[in-house]
Amino acid sequence: MKRLWRWLIPLAAVPVLALLAYGFRVSPRDIPSPLVGRPAPGFALATLEGAPLDLAVHGGKVVVVNFWASWCYPACYEEAPVLERNWRGYRERGVVVVGVDIQDKREAALKFVGDFGLTFPVAQDLKGTVSVDYGVYGVPETFFVDRRGQIRLKHVGAVTDEVFKATVDRLLAEPASP
Amino acid sequence: MTRQRKFIAGGVVIALALAYMIYAGVTQSAVYFVTPAELRAAPVPGKAYRLGGMVVPGSLKWEARSLDLSFSLSDGTATVPGYFKANLIMAKHSEEYKAPHDKSEAGYRELLKTLRGEGR
Amino acid sequence: MTADLGYGMTIVALGLALYGGVSAGVGARTGRLALIESAQHAALGVFVLVTSCFALLTYAFLTFDFSVRYVATNTNLGTPFYYRITGVWGALEGSIILWSWMLALYTVILIVRHRVGARELYPWALATMLGILAFFLLVMTVAAPPFQRQVPVPADGRGLNPLLEDTGMITHPVALYLGFTGLTVPFAFAMAALITGRVGDTWLVLTRRWTIVAWYFLSLGLLIGGWWSYHVLGWGGYWAWDPVENAAFMPWLTATAFLHSVMIQERRRMLRLWNISLVILTFGLTLFGTFLTRSGVIASVHAFTQGSIGILFLSFLALVLLTALGLVAWRWEALRSEGELDSVLSRESAFLLNNVLLVAAAFTVFFGTVFPLLSEAARGVKVSVGAPFFNQINVPLFLSLVFLMGVGPLIAWRRASLDNLKRNFLWPVALGILAAALAFALGVRSLLAALTFATTVFVAVTIAVDFTRATRARLRVGESLLPAMGGLLVRHNRRYGGFVVHLGILIVALGVMGSHAWSVQTETTLHRGETAELAGYRFRFDGLTAVEESNHFKVVGTFTVSNGRVLGVLQPAKKFYPQEQAPIAYVDYRLGLREDIYLVLGDFARDGSQATIKLQVNRLVSWIWIGGVVLTLGALLAILPERHKSA
Repeated sequence: MKRLWRWLIPLAAVPVLALLAYGFRVSPRDIPSPLVGRPAPGFALATLEGAPLDLAVHGGKVVVVNFWASWCYPACYEEAPVLERNWRGYRERGVVVVGVDIQDKREAALKFVGDFGLTFPVAQDLKGTVSVDYGVYGVPETFFVDRRGQIRLKHVGAVTDEVFKATVDRLLAEPASP
Repeated sequence: MTRQRKFIAGGVVIALALAYMIYAGVTQSAVYFVTPAELRAAPVPGKAYRLGGMVVPGSLKWEARSLDLSFSLSDGTATVPGYFKANLIMAKHSEEYKAPHDKSEAGYRELLKTLRGEGR
Repeated sequence: MTADLGYGMTIVALGLALYGGVSAGVGARTGRLALIESAQHAALGVFVLVTSCFALLTYAFLTFDFSVRYVATNTNLGTPFYYRITGVWGALEGSIILWSWMLALYTVILIVRHRVGARELYPWALATMLGILAFFLLVMTVAAPPFQRQVPVPADGRGLNPLLEDTGMITHPVALYLGFTGLTVPFAFAMAALITGRVGDTWLVLTRRWTIVAWYFLSLGLLIGGWWSYHVLGWGGYWAWDPVENAAFMPWLTATAFLHSVMIQERRRMLRLWNISLVILTFGLTLFGTFLTRSGVIASVHAFTQGSIGILFLSFLALVLLTALGLVAWRWEALRSEGELDSVLSRESAFLLNNVLLVAAAFTVFFGTVFPLLSEAARGVKVSVGAPFFNQINVPLFLSLVFLMGVGPLIAWRRASLDNLKRNFLWPVALGILAAALAFALGVRSLLAALTFATTVFVAVTIAVDFTRATRARLRVGESLLPAMGGLLVRHNRRYGGFVVHLGILIVALGVMGSHAWSVQTETTLHRGETAELAGYRFRFDGLTAVEESNHFKVVGTFTVSNGRVLGVLQPAKKFYPQEQAPIAYVDYRLGLREDIYLVLGDFARDGSQATIKLQVNRLVSWIWIGGVVLTLGALLAILPERHKSA
């Protein structure tokens, strides 16, 4: 074999490596949610303090519905401060953050809320109907609902500041009625 | 060297045979991920699909005696009636935290079972 | 405190490993022994530190130290004692510690064994091992730190994944990892050979035993994994062609190829380039395997998690492959072989064909595993290939390989004469065909079954022919029967160990064939007192009971099994863990030599009046585990230190 051709041998590995790298761009678990672009299912729950929590009350606002559980390590623990921080930053601007706790014990939920100092409304989905309505199959999952009540984004996994801000800013810029 | 040529020829034959077998294998056993709308648009009878969608409320029927599970799947745009006959139950366990959480549940979240879908 | 101490130790270990790797490399280049010795001390230090990290983490598990996030995620107050120990390697971070610990252990053993005997190659092999160890320690420090603090400290942990609460959890990962990490050593020596230019037989001879040991552990890990899948996961199978299963199977295939092709290089000095490439490919596949399990790039039953760790592994894989292949290109001239193949009918040919088939199988598995990526990249459509793809292509390949198991050991080197062929293969071929005919006469109609019978009998007879002939030779010289046979096994332990391994594979092949061709199953719903029937067995549903355990709640169904007379009671259950969204099925079974009875509890009525069950009668599955035991014995025999061969 001529002297230089042999150096093509290492290059043989490149296509395979490129293919694997491509794998990072697509998530195998991305099953598109059929709910995006459709009206957010309504619910009427009671918060941990006993106050009513009804989605319909918040019409006209951007609503962030976050499904979580106290046993969901580490993602729910990572995103709790993010949600609280952004709730405090955006609440005066017509944004509501709502937490829906699923398959959890009340004491564990209260402890979680207390530990993180969460001040946004949090309710337990005791019957499990809300998580079914939203097609939730894991925690945490966060749904961003626009001012017209349509689900615009479903975020699977811990929410970050970037995702929160970018999505909410975009939705806030839209008008409340068509 | 004729002998060397013989071996190379043998190698090529094996490689071609393998390529053919892979091609045949792929076309026969490929499983497509589709939504109900996609399935409706171009159904192929006998093809294996993985269907993802929301169960249409009220359509779930489970007959314990005959082990018939039927429901309709919809993605808001199209509805597909499903007759559930499990070929394989994928009992998934992910060792880390579960978002998303892949688990097969007999009942209302049939996102990961292989279905023989009849598009109608 | 624990978290900080652990983290500190990890960082020091990383530093030491990096220092050691560089030191060994420089020492090798310049010939300064002091540097090499310093690297040895560094390696020892790394081993001590990683062992301490491991011990510290285990301690945290045993004392319910939920301030360590990894402990909180993988255990809770109800987790039983022994699972608190095995839970240490139950998830990502712990698995990296286990891997690093084994690498460190192997490095120390390498030092002890080869420090004196392999002057030229040893320092570079040491440098390579430390470099790879440094990478895994880097992963442990940056991407998957086991000692992260959990703030606020929860009152109770989440708990171990219930599917991992099983004896298989103790052995399967350990065996598998011993295999994976063990394959690093031949790779390290291959790198040393390329760097120093000594690409002859030295590195092969040194790594022979390492390869067999690693291969053995990998085989064991795969078999235990199959057993675990069979008796825990409730689907009645032992292999699903899941991406992570495939990730462990591919290096096994190429390692098996390597085990055989080294014999050719030893005898005929051929296939140097092929052997070096195989070792690089095998090690690359082990890295690919860890990448697959941890990057989330392909969805799988086993996948650990997603995140930055995937990028780290892919980058390292790229570095390793490009460097290794670059070295191959550099030493291209030296790697050209001296000998060449004389004839198609020869042992060299048989071994080469064996290698080709094994690599073809590995390629098929690889192709099928990454197919979803390929199809998405090429056509934007997510398509996966299921088990039928793998079975369709691999079954003929494996059957051919089994056939070769009979041909290889007996056929002559260089060129087999017609006479030689007749002498060795007349009886085996005849009896093989007879076996297939007999099976047909007894009612077997499956072509696959007939072929399997024919080939397994063929191979078994070749082994018998060889053994009888060799024993007779010794008897002629005056030895008595048993010492003659024993002497053969001991003095030619590599050859006869190999034969025993082949026998084990034959038994496994029969088990696989039986379970595929002749197993039956059914699903039905029973009222209390009703009976279901399958394959001559009757199952009567006696009722349900609810039991509360330390960390879960379970519903147990009681079924009486009889086939004319009462055989016993099976109690499949459904376990409900608070941290799991869906219940876990707990299978009950009766194992037998000919068939297993397998019962899974599905849906049930709350009042216990009825239950839905899946019944299976699986044929010959036990042969797979028995074949595994035989394989183990063969591997042990082959690993024995070589005695002086008699004339």
